Amino acid sequence: MATYDFLFDSLGLREWCGDEGGGITSMADLMSEATGEEQVVSAWDTPFPSLDALHDACAAIPQSRDVTLGLENGFLDIKDSLKVVVDPITQPLSWALENALWLMQSVPWWIMIPALMLIVYLVGRSFKLVGLVAAAFGFLAFIDYYDYTMQTLAIIFVCAVICVVLGVPIGIAMSRSDRVQRAIIPILDMLQTLPPFVYLIPLIFLFSVTEPKLYGIAIILYAIVPVVRLTDLGIRLVDKDVIEAADAFGMTKRQKLYGVQIPLALPNIMAGVNQTIMMSLAMVVIASLVSAPGLGVLVLRGIRNLELGVGLLSGLGIVLLAIILDRVTKAALARINAQQKS
Amino acid sequence: MVDENTPKISVRGLYKIFGDAPGSVLDLVRDGIGKAELQAETGHVLGLNDINVDMPRGKTTVIMGLSGSGKSTLIRHLNRLIEPTAGEVWVDGENILEYRQGKLRELRQKRMSMVFQKFALLPHRTVLENAGLAPAVSGKSRRQYAEEATKWLDRVGLEGQGGQYPAQLSGGMQQRVGIARALTSNSDIMLMDEAFSALDPLIRTDMQNLLIDLQEELQKTVVFITHDLDEALKLADHLVILKDGYVVQQGEPQEILLNPNDPYIEDFVADINRARVLRVRSVMEETRDDPGEVAGEVDHDDTLESVIAKSGGDTTKRYRVTEDGRLVGVLHMRALVRALVPSSRDDAPAMADA
Repeated sequence: MATYDFLFDSLGLREWCGDEGGGITSMADLMSEATGEEQVVSAWDTPFPSLDALHDACAAIPQSRDVTLGLENGFLDIKDSLKVVVDPITQPLSWALENALWLMQSVPWWIMIPALMLIVYLVGRSFKLVGLVAAAFGFLAFIDYYDYTMQTLAIIFVCAVICVVLGVPIGIAMSRSDRVQRAIIPILDMLQTLPPFVYLIPLIFLFSVTEPKLYGIAIILYAIVPVVRLTDLGIRLVDKDVIEAADAFGMTKRQKLYGVQIPLALPNIMAGVNQTIMMSLAMVVIASLVSAPGLGVLVLRGIRNLELGVGLLSGLGIVLLAIILDRVTKAALARINAQQKS
Repeated sequence: MVDENTPKISVRGLYKIFGDAPGSVLDLVRDGIGKAELQAETGHVLGLNDINVDMPRGKTTVIMGLSGSGKSTLIRHLNRLIEPTAGEVWVDGENILEYRQGKLRELRQKRMSMVFQKFALLPHRTVLENAGLAPAVSGKSRRQYAEEATKWLDRVGLEGQGGQYPAQLSGGMQQRVGIARALTSNSDIMLMDEAFSALDPLIRTDMQNLLIDLQEELQKTVVFITHDLDEALKLADHLVILKDGYVVQQGEPQEILLNPNDPYIEDFVADINRARVLRVRSVMEETRDDPGEVAGEVDHDDTLESVIAKSGGDTTKRYRVTEDGRLVGVLHMRALVRALVPSSRDDAPAMADA
């Protein structure tokens, strides 16, 4: 007998529940079977009327493991049709990642490092920054982490670019309509608070672990949030007087967007890009669980094999990359700010 | 339409009610419900109440009122930055409320320009690019508008500043850019929304003089919003005084100053330096006959202040008043002194006796 038998008896649902032929299902049943006496449950120990507790009383009620199993089966059922849609859409992501990885690794280091230094100079116009970049990459190459670093960088580049390409228009759409904003903010909140591991799981079911887009999607979902939020915020914060002036001189919506709103929101958008890049770096480490190459693999090796040195050094490499990416994007941001404020 | 005397802008029966369902309370407003009552009963705010104003071509119309009087709301109806609840706005004989988006943009680009209280320059564009905003919006390249924009920048006193960014300029200079931007559009109509209110007093005087000079030269139809009566009287050819969204009095500024028809305006007028604002023509006795013995000659447009200085304070003197060298009247110093004291209802009969 189970605690909630009385419920089904009093409601006259015993028939509906069917026979108690479920056999021995719980430890309590086993105990009563063994001792031959009925277990008496004190009021203090009354279980919450959960699915499992109700199932004990009535076999027709599903157990909670049936629910999770049902979810899984449901997902597996729609998986194929979902794949038909999602697969072609995300295929370019795989190509982009594969090509970026190939490019970053096949270009010899003596071209790659100067090229990166040049980019940093063009973005930041600061020799100090260029020196920092050279030192960091020099160090990472010196300890033979060059390939891993380039893999990580390649993934971040691709994912950050896609985040901006998708995120800025979403942010613009949000800034233009309160309805869109209200609809999207909960999604952004969810993406930001959901532990990244949780959305890795359905992705593993959906794609094969050998496909780069698996971790690409995970990184993008995780890192796109700040650029969307700050684009929305930036455009909404543009001085109302300036917008009014743009209207008073007969600008079209498009002219206003490209000529006034985006340029004036650029500091905020760039702050969002900075955050997005930092978050993709964080995620690229976690994504090594699902076959993302790069420094994350070394971190994982450090954990798995308890190789303390490898773990520490690769952690240091990630910190160095983070510092570089942060400084370079902030330098770009500072230049934009200087232009507008000076 | 080209007739000199038809007003350039004509506002007819304009109402603006802010709230959820302005149309539903319009009849209440037409029946004469007060601003406070309307807000208490329906939660709607009465912005403008039956505005009828003609703005003369080539002249400066000043709309004056305290904050909350609806003056900024009114000027935004002239280029439809705000849509009215009811009424008509005629510009050059066309009701602009019937314009579609394209026509409206054309109006804003080519026929009306606007100067803002907070300058509202584009901070990421140079002074030259800001000045050339109107042609740039209608699709002209920088090279095409540079000459025109530079011309107007020079005219407002910003020679060689075209390459600067707005934030590098002082407030007064930024507003000069604002004016140059309006002038570069070559529109007939200039809307100026408290254009000088954010500036220091001395710079404000400079800018007022600049506007007066420009007006003599260009004769645009200027609609100027201000809360400052001194400024209003200095600039206005036609003065409209707003209070709580309705027109209290409108007309020639000297006329309003001498004959305020509302205690609200009397209060306003009380603090004014009348000697500096009133002109000889407003207090002289009109005559074509030779007045005979006079102490001297004054122009009809001289301020009373200058005549007092000339007379040395002697109230027995009389002056010949001339316009373009022609005799138009006689100015008695006694009448001048009387005009310096604001008239109130009590001593109006006494004035009539004298």
